[in-house]
Amino acid sequence: MILSDHISFRLSGLLVLKVVFVLLFFSENIYAQDCSLSLTGKIMDKGTAIPLEFSNVFIEDLGRGAVTDKDGFFEIKNICPADYHLAVSHLGCETVEIFLVIKKDTFINLYLSHHEELLDEVVVHGSKAENTTAVSSTINRATITTESNENIADILESIVGVSVLRNGSGISKPVVHGLFGNRVTILNNGIAQSGQQWGNDHAPEIDPFVADHLSVVKGVSTLAYGGNSLGSLVMVESAPITNDPHLHGETNYTFETNGLGHTINARLEKKNDWAAWRVSGSLKRKGDTHTPDYFLTNTGQRENNIAFQLDKKWNSRWDTEFYYSLFNTEIGVLRGSHIGNLTDLNQAIGQKIPFFTEDNFAYNINPPRQLVNHHLVKVSIKHSLSDHQILKFNYGGQLNQRKEFDIRRGDRSDIPALNLNQFSNFFEVAYDGDFSEHFFLKTGIQFTYVDNGNQSGTGILPLIPNYDAAKTGAYFILKNSNPSKWFYEFGGRYDFKYLSIFTIDNRISRNIIRPTHHFHNYTISGGVKYQPSHDFKSSFNLGYLLRAPEVNELYSAGLHQGVSGIEEGDPNLNSERSLKATLSFDGVVKEKLFFQVLGYFQHVQDFIYLQPQEEFRLTIRGAFPLFIYKQANVNIYGTDVLLKYAPRQNWSLTAKYAIVRGDNLTDDVALINIPSDNISTSFSYIFSDENFLKNTSLSLSGSYFFRQGRITDEQDFLSPPDGYGLIGFQAARDFPLGKNKLKISLKADNLLNTAYRDYLNRLRYFADEPGRNIKLNIRYVF
Amino acid sequence: MKLSNKLFLLLSFFALLSLPACNDDEGPEDPEEVITTLNYSLFTTSGQVVTLSFSDLDGDGGNDPVISGGTLMANTTYIGTADFLNESVTPVEIVTEEIEEEDDEHQLFFIPSSSLNATVTYSDMDDDGNPIGLSSTLVTGEASDGQLTIILRHQPDKAAEGVAAGNIENAGGETDIEVTFDVTIQ
Repeated sequence: MILSDHISFRLSGLLVLKVVFVLLFFSENIYAQDCSLSLTGKIMDKGTAIPLEFSNVFIEDLGRGAVTDKDGFFEIKNICPADYHLAVSHLGCETVEIFLVIKKDTFINLYLSHHEELLDEVVVHGSKAENTTAVSSTINRATITTESNENIADILESIVGVSVLRNGSGISKPVVHGLFGNRVTILNNGIAQSGQQWGNDHAPEIDPFVADHLSVVKGVSTLAYGGNSLGSLVMVESAPITNDPHLHGETNYTFETNGLGHTINARLEKKNDWAAWRVSGSLKRKGDTHTPDYFLTNTGQRENNIAFQLDKKWNSRWDTEFYYSLFNTEIGVLRGSHIGNLTDLNQAIGQKIPFFTEDNFAYNINPPRQLVNHHLVKVSIKHSLSDHQILKFNYGGQLNQRKEFDIRRGDRSDIPALNLNQFSNFFEVAYDGDFSEHFFLKTGIQFTYVDNGNQSGTGILPLIPNYDAAKTGAYFILKNSNPSKWFYEFGGRYDFKYLSIFTIDNRISRNIIRPTHHFHNYTISGGVKYQPSHDFKSSFNLGYLLRAPEVNELYSAGLHQGVSGIEEGDPNLNSERSLKATLSFDGVVKEKLFFQVLGYFQHVQDFIYLQPQEEFRLTIRGAFPLFIYKQANVNIYGTDVLLKYAPRQNWSLTAKYAIVRGDNLTDDVALINIPSDNISTSFSYIFSDENFLKNTSLSLSGSYFFRQGRITDEQDFLSPPDGYGLIGFQAARDFPLGKNKLKISLKADNLLNTAYRDYLNRLRYFADEPGRNIKLNIRYVF
Repeated sequence: MKLSNKLFLLLSFFALLSLPACNDDEGPEDPEEVITTLNYSLFTTSGQVVTLSFSDLDGDGGNDPVISGGTLMANTTYIGTADFLNESVTPVEIVTEEIEEEDDEHQLFFIPSSSLNATVTYSDMDDDGNPIGLSSTLVTGEASDGQLTIILRHQPDKAAEGVAAGNIENAGGETDIEVTFDVTIQ
């Protein structure tokens, strides 16, 4: 056997998520058109590297295949040199499709994901540059497609340590380790999502269906992304496009009973001679959702999204990628949650059924509603200077258009009450490469320019002023390049931010003022990972970060209708300074019990938050609660625990538990909007017998959210709701149709139709959460 | 080179998209829908006038609003009219007209505090026969001190129980105006 040249192939992009592979070597015994070649390989679990016995490897073009032995090995003999489509399947794993050009005897290593909840970013990408001490969790394509009727934050909620801040069921944003909004960076295909993140009622403008994997990074070594928070990073990524010269794709349809929602997605991809392309689109229509007792009037949702990706490999040195996505949504906000002043709020809180509740279902969306468009363009050019040195140029352009319509007097309900455009440009030059014998270097320079403008004609004084922001940053990360049991990395980042504001002062004469601000901020972080064996690893991370105040924190002025309060910024705020440590342990006991435990502690000096004032602001519309941006010293700490017991390949038991605590040390009270403790468990079973239930999987899940008991009555208009438990059920079955696959799944959420309210949903003042929802998902892959 | 040309074109395209966002040099928004002033004028049949007035010319925040209550005679019937103005613009905008045009979507509520011996009833109605409150009748009782709160609701449920009789509890909708006056009856 001679180690010869590499054949590199890519998996069908559709299913790539579940697979990382590849280590190939070949023997040189080529007999032209001699059909005596063999394909051998080993199949392992992606998260744990445990060999997967009884995996099926099937060559679709030949109609035959093999089954792996107890060490995960398989062998298929008597193959002619040709192009082949391979289907690799295993009990409980999504089938993986591979396009392979076989010219000689071939050996492949393949990873399937049998334990999805144990996957992390490093495993997903599997390259040297991605090795990190940060802790991450990943959701794969199969889950994303079945859940593509949901918002992106709702899908992320299945990751332990992630909660969701909602404004009704249509608007949701992720909360990672107790932080959200400006403090959680969302990377949309490598570009930081840029919109009106400050609003608790502004959801991220991303269609989950475009993503091949969704990850949440919970360590601190995320310097390359210029995050505003220490390591709370959400990544939405699409995989490289297939190397398959044939057209492949999938189509996906979901119907849900609650809200009579229809979601259709489709995706096509192909590698042409010139370049590889992929196009995907989603349509979503949903009407009023229903609690166990009444309709939530005006909670419909519409979405039209499209994305296009073009990858071109010019030669072995130059790669380019172009990506464009357009996200369009229109969301209704519960009619009964739209209130005037404090009296209205108190009256609405006292209602058993919200005001304006209709007896009938409707798809109509009336004010109050939100209309959002988001364009994203990414151009990425990659140049390999040598085998170990890569130079990257990235451009990201985003245009975010947000219109919010209120109930207004006269014919003004069709005039947006808030109309903001944000145009942002991001440029980056980055370098990955060997720095010395012992260190691998990642470094880069980034420039971001944001133009945020209120569109005139709203007839309402804007809450957020017009502004231009320019940010220049540079970072470096050094990692040890030959990790053994120990892997360590450290790095630093510097950012200069310039902010130019255009607004009016609060005097009667309404003078125009143009204040400017400069911020010099830096971040340092380091981490160490200890992995004595495949069965155990532990990481420790420590970081120190300065975050500049955002425009809303400096210059908000006026009524924030979405939350019915008057908000006032403070132009004299300082940067937040925060120190965060995380410690994690991951391990496997006897290949049956898996555990992941993460603890974190964050101390923030001058944490910026909205402080409710004791006195109300008296206006002609009555009294309004007044909130002023203040700074305090806070501690935020908590634990995420994941346990999985899988004694056999066909059943498993999973439990997740998350605790977060937030303390405002300056005022000696708990922080508001911190998720309550929650626990969730699930049991899943796959029928392995060769009977009519073959390829059928069942799972039963239960979760319990405790009451947020740390908030005092003075901190909120309504004390936090009681704890609640929910039960869910899912059944799925695969139907192979020749080379194509049909998958049907049925899922029930809130199976017992429990009436409950959630602390992190602003609508808890007004209405219950949606009741039982049964979803039918049909997915066809070709 | 062909690709870089295309990239350049695309970048230019998105630069063009950004143009509408560059509105930094426009003046500040002219606020519409503003009500700065409520005058509740009470007339006796003998022609005496008492006006309860609330005005906040600079809107929310800034200077405190000017609120003037009034003194009413005991055991007297007053005819009340409510006027809403926007005095922050010239000429002054009479918002009452806008409310009259959409009278089915508006209703005033008059809530005397428990210590005040006064009752207010509606003397106008919209096309559906429901009260509006721009015209009202106030009847005072024995001498007393207290407050009168006046609330203007947008899109209340006029059909809900008690709402037509002036009970705000089941009305819903948004409060456009809510002001409280000190009132003395002597």
